[in-house]
Amino acid sequence: MKPEPKNDKRKAEIDGRSVFLLSRNGRFGILVPARGHAFPSIVTHCLNVLTMRLKFALFFFVSGIFAGSVCAEPVSGWLHWRGPDQNGASAETGLPDEIELGGKNHLWSFEMAGRGEAVIAEDRVYAFGYAGEGPDLREYLTCLEADTGKVVWQLGFNDYLSDIVYERYAIGAPTVDSESGNIYLMTTPGEMVCVSPAGKILWRHSMMERFGLLTFPNGRRGAAVIEGELVIHHAITSYWGAQGPARDRFFAFDKLTGELIWSSTPGTPPKDSSFSSPVIATTGGKRVLYSGTGCGNLVAINALTGDPLWRYHFSYGGVNASVLLHGGDKLIAIHGKENLDSSEVGRMAAIRIGAEPATYADGQLVLDKSAELWRQPLVMFTSSPILVGDRVYQVSHTGELESLDAESGQILWHHKLENGQLHASPLYADGKLYVPMGNGNFYILKLRDDGVDQLDKEAMGAGLLGAPTVWNGRIYLHSQKALHCFGRIGDSPQGEPWSRHMTVNSRRARSDEAVRLQVVPADVLLNPGDRADFQVRSLDENGRVVRTGVRASLAKYIPPTAKVKTEIDASFRRRTIRAAADAKTSAGAIRASRGELSGITRGRVLFDSRFREDFEGFQITEQYPPEHVHANVEFAYPPLPWIGARFKWDIRELDGNKVLAKTLDRVLFQRATTFFGDPDMSDYTMVADFMTDGNRRMKSNVGLIHQRYVIELVGNWQRLEVSSNHDRIKVSVPFRWNVGAWYRLKTRVDVNDDGSGVVRAKAWPRDEAEPEAWTIEVPHKIAHDRGAPGLRGFSPQSRYSVYVDNISVYPNSN
Amino acid sequence: MKSNLLFLLTVAGAVLGLTVQSGDWPQWGRDASKNFYSPEKGLPSEFHPGDFIQGTEDIDLSTTKNVKWVVKLGSQAYGNASVSQGRVYVGTNNESPRIQRHLGDRGIVYCLDEQTGEFQWQLTVPKLGAGKVSDWEYLGICSSPTVEGDRVYVISNRCEVLCLDTQGMANGNDGPFVDEAQYLAGPGHPAMPVEQDDADIIWVFDMREELGVFPHNIASSSVVVVGDTVFATTSNGQDWGHLNIPSPNAPCLVALDKNTGALLGEEVSGISLNLMHCNWSSPGYGQINDQSMVFFGGGDGIVYAFDPKPVPGADGLNELKEIWKYDAVPLKYKEKDGKPIKYPAADGPSEIIGTPVFYRDRVYVAIGQDPEHGEGVGMLSCIDASGKGDISVSGAVWTYDKINRTISTVSIDPETGLLFVCDYSGFLYCLDAETGKEYWIYDMKAHMWSSTMVADGKVFLGDEDGDFVILKADRELEVLSEVNFGAPIYSSPVAANGVLFVGTQTHLYAIAE
Repeated sequence: MKPEPKNDKRKAEIDGRSVFLLSRNGRFGILVPARGHAFPSIVTHCLNVLTMRLKFALFFFVSGIFAGSVCAEPVSGWLHWRGPDQNGASAETGLPDEIELGGKNHLWSFEMAGRGEAVIAEDRVYAFGYAGEGPDLREYLTCLEADTGKVVWQLGFNDYLSDIVYERYAIGAPTVDSESGNIYLMTTPGEMVCVSPAGKILWRHSMMERFGLLTFPNGRRGAAVIEGELVIHHAITSYWGAQGPARDRFFAFDKLTGELIWSSTPGTPPKDSSFSSPVIATTGGKRVLYSGTGCGNLVAINALTGDPLWRYHFSYGGVNASVLLHGGDKLIAIHGKENLDSSEVGRMAAIRIGAEPATYADGQLVLDKSAELWRQPLVMFTSSPILVGDRVYQVSHTGELESLDAESGQILWHHKLENGQLHASPLYADGKLYVPMGNGNFYILKLRDDGVDQLDKEAMGAGLLGAPTVWNGRIYLHSQKALHCFGRIGDSPQGEPWSRHMTVNSRRARSDEAVRLQVVPADVLLNPGDRADFQVRSLDENGRVVRTGVRASLAKYIPPTAKVKTEIDASFRRRTIRAAADAKTSAGAIRASRGELSGITRGRVLFDSRFREDFEGFQITEQYPPEHVHANVEFAYPPLPWIGARFKWDIRELDGNKVLAKTLDRVLFQRATTFFGDPDMSDYTMVADFMTDGNRRMKSNVGLIHQRYVIELVGNWQRLEVSSNHDRIKVSVPFRWNVGAWYRLKTRVDVNDDGSGVVRAKAWPRDEAEPEAWTIEVPHKIAHDRGAPGLRGFSPQSRYSVYVDNISVYPNSN
Repeated sequence: MKSNLLFLLTVAGAVLGLTVQSGDWPQWGRDASKNFYSPEKGLPSEFHPGDFIQGTEDIDLSTTKNVKWVVKLGSQAYGNASVSQGRVYVGTNNESPRIQRHLGDRGIVYCLDEQTGEFQWQLTVPKLGAGKVSDWEYLGICSSPTVEGDRVYVISNRCEVLCLDTQGMANGNDGPFVDEAQYLAGPGHPAMPVEQDDADIIWVFDMREELGVFPHNIASSSVVVVGDTVFATTSNGQDWGHLNIPSPNAPCLVALDKNTGALLGEEVSGISLNLMHCNWSSPGYGQINDQSMVFFGGGDGIVYAFDPKPVPGADGLNELKEIWKYDAVPLKYKEKDGKPIKYPAADGPSEIIGTPVFYRDRVYVAIGQDPEHGEGVGMLSCIDASGKGDISVSGAVWTYDKINRTISTVSIDPETGLLFVCDYSGFLYCLDAETGKEYWIYDMKAHMWSSTMVADGKVFLGDEDGDFVILKADRELEVLSEVNFGAPIYSSPVAANGVLFVGTQTHLYAIAE
């Protein structure tokens, strides 16, 4: 039941085959040896830019020397699925005019289902896919030899606690950092990982348990983007405090350590999830991230600070397609849902960028219709447009390939390919469009000014949902059965190094005028007795670093806008926060101050080895209004640090006893998945009391989340069920119980050295003695080896409540 | 026995009353048999839907040909327009709001004048706020209104069966339901003023509240009225994780008193235990000798026929007794090499979303899935409806497996004996209804949600590209005309009183020469 260290990742997670050293933009990094590059030149380069922080890094750098590693020039390849110009176009030539499975230019295939894109770094291919059946199905990040397709290494990831259906896995892509060669990936249930080129996990975050990520049946996950020292991804989350309401949030992590640098909430309440890949450019002196969101907004965020700059409400539904930037003055985007200003469904439009005022009265500018330069009634929800010079190419929802003039928006021509299209985006290279289709057909089309000539149409034998990728004379295509590679063997001279497109030194300020502080990490999770170190740096008005190692003072802080006035139960000494051994479950903001400069971070204290909650200590001070579904009921809000609890549960008196009750006022919140512990916990036992309301036709479900398993009393089926994702694990036994009566549930998960495990649970009427035997025991071949404790409540259609009391968590060894 | 006979006589009379004599198209599938056929004559062989007035969503009528009127709908429309006694009823959403006090996402039914398209009144239904799982944003009302006498029956996006007054509020607020003010506002919101242009709700039967139904995505089926009974399927389905049926005990078919909305009976066949996705198929009605039956396609892939007269059940509830059931999913779609094929694999099993059609003692139905699941294998079955019990083996008169997944309903032309049906992949099939012999296949090259309609020796069909085709209803393939509406067509065309009604996602067209 010991959580892994969270606040000393640099030391704990060094990849033995990599080396920490100084990067050319004054930060340390993990650079991985590449062929034929000398070490001393990099050393010299690094030493020129030493800072206080970098002295620390030098220690690791020297260690690296003794480890025998060397560093290299930036990695080249097709490192992100949208390509080096973030627009789906490649400058390569000499690529295939035709392909054929089993044909002469079919180099290899690797049997692993995928729904996204493989990326290529030097002579390695990184593919995101899935394999296996039932409880053994896993997502895999696979490294292959580009020449042969042979597996170099493979990392497997379980699905857990997600709503993914119909094996909608791996709808996304890895991203390779050109500086370090590290690979970044968010798995479908939201595990964000950084993997070394040698296949070692350098850091990982369970975004669901750590930051409240929500999953959706569609499984769309997308790809991270790299910006200098940052790796940035976005997802719908519902966390705590100001980040409690569900929103499409962007998270920027230090790409080497995994520390959260910033998080951003630029939009409005979401309607969908979105896997729109952000695009980053310099606009008005700022590094600006542009993206579509699940709330239907196009957003611009300061990529260095997370500050929302502007949003444009583009659609009532989500915007899933990635956006294009053209000419430095426009953003081109498409959606497939309702518009705000017409009753048409879908639109492609160009939005003017770069003309916004430098400062905004309310922090974030909301663009209006006047920002639109042009619009066309095209419909596409998930396939992205590509840009070739001044031409935009888009495959529409109905399978039409459309060509538009990027400047005027004029539709130049269209060409019917199939009767529909799903996620796949086309790719341009070598004068050709490579167009995968959802039904498994793959088109190679020679571009003319006024249309296309079809060079090839190949049935790939399985659905194609990802874009092709190209590198070094080869084309890679991932179907729902296999990753295929076509092209020629040997190096292709036409490939351009990725470094041509790299952002150089984007993080360093050009002036000494600091306007604010940035506190890293931007969010900290402590257990009683834990401590964590913050780094504070000053930023200029564009978010670039003026100084690192700022000696700021830290203090608890209650933002004036906070709806819940609460503080973290911790103390500070210089830049260190410490939770005492008897610290209480708590959450709050922390302000760093230095002179007139300040910056904010946030923190939570949960618990480590033991936890008991009978809710009797809560002061019931709130009351629902008369028109509310719980009219006039007095209640207290659940603990603020619990993820996914507020507005889904309340604490109220029931028969003279305080209990946690599932609220029924919003059908949208009929399900509650609530975490109240550390994501890295393992080897623990849980006990809690439950009761449900209901009638003959309809009852509710209630249970525990235990190390990524749900152990639940399923009301309408009268079963005790163990599940995780329902399609992966769903085992139940009959268990009859009555509404309006209390039952006790006890659960335990044991994981063996070989990775297998057993989930055990027993349930009985609370007033009776605990039975000796477990009611259900479920073996799992590749068991979840960690996971936050939590609660699950489901009141179908928000009809009948469930109640929880007397929760306890303790080590298995107790 | 006396009771049964009396009921049958009543039903027979009522169904005769339902028989459409005036040239109307008053419900989904025109009459209780659900056959998308009309005896109308003189329907146009060609027309032009016209061009949009630039910068607007209005059609320039001067650019149309054979178009009588055009009415703006919301941004989405499904089902079919129903035409009865001089009025047209059509479901849509509220993206082109006609009443400024009703703004935002709502389910809408418009009542229009049949001759002019002039707006009469509208039903406005607030969303459940459940998100996509039970009342998907902007889908509007997908159910096709069923009109009988001065009453309109429709299933709302809130999973309610509603009975409305054809006259709206013009003749006052008739009951028993009179709280339209609160209904329009939605639960937990201050009541709203009710005006003459609002619908008059006669009764409401909330299937979530009364039956414990968990609607999946949206309640979308249409009701059939038999005698004094309204039969409705419930759209009970999976949770949003699609692997958990939250309400296995809720029925898939219920019988309601058409005058009061009181629950008369429900199926107890346990269909909800095995739902693949949802129970969206609409019920129909037929009679063979003395045996009347209500049939529908189950969300478990099985066609069910029930005796329409409820009988007391074991636990005090009135039950609808099963007459026969027919598994429309062949074994070859259920397993391969001894292993089950998992739903919704393209080569695997499907539920039934289209409506079974009763024609000359047989029932015709094809299997399919939610279009979101993509294309896949299908099966069209012609079932001998005179059987009893499980007729999965004995009941098949013929089957046709060239068809792909479809959510469409067949059209059978009694004048030629030809059956027309389309699939989601974009193919239109012409078969011999008696034997299943294939005459021709026409590729529309676009996905199809709508159903064919056959009338006047022609087959009418629209697709997702907005193309609308008129073909000769003949053993030889002949395209009479093809036009594009500029908006997807998910609704099914209908013919009433010499006029062809075509609904796109955004407009309803009345077309006549």
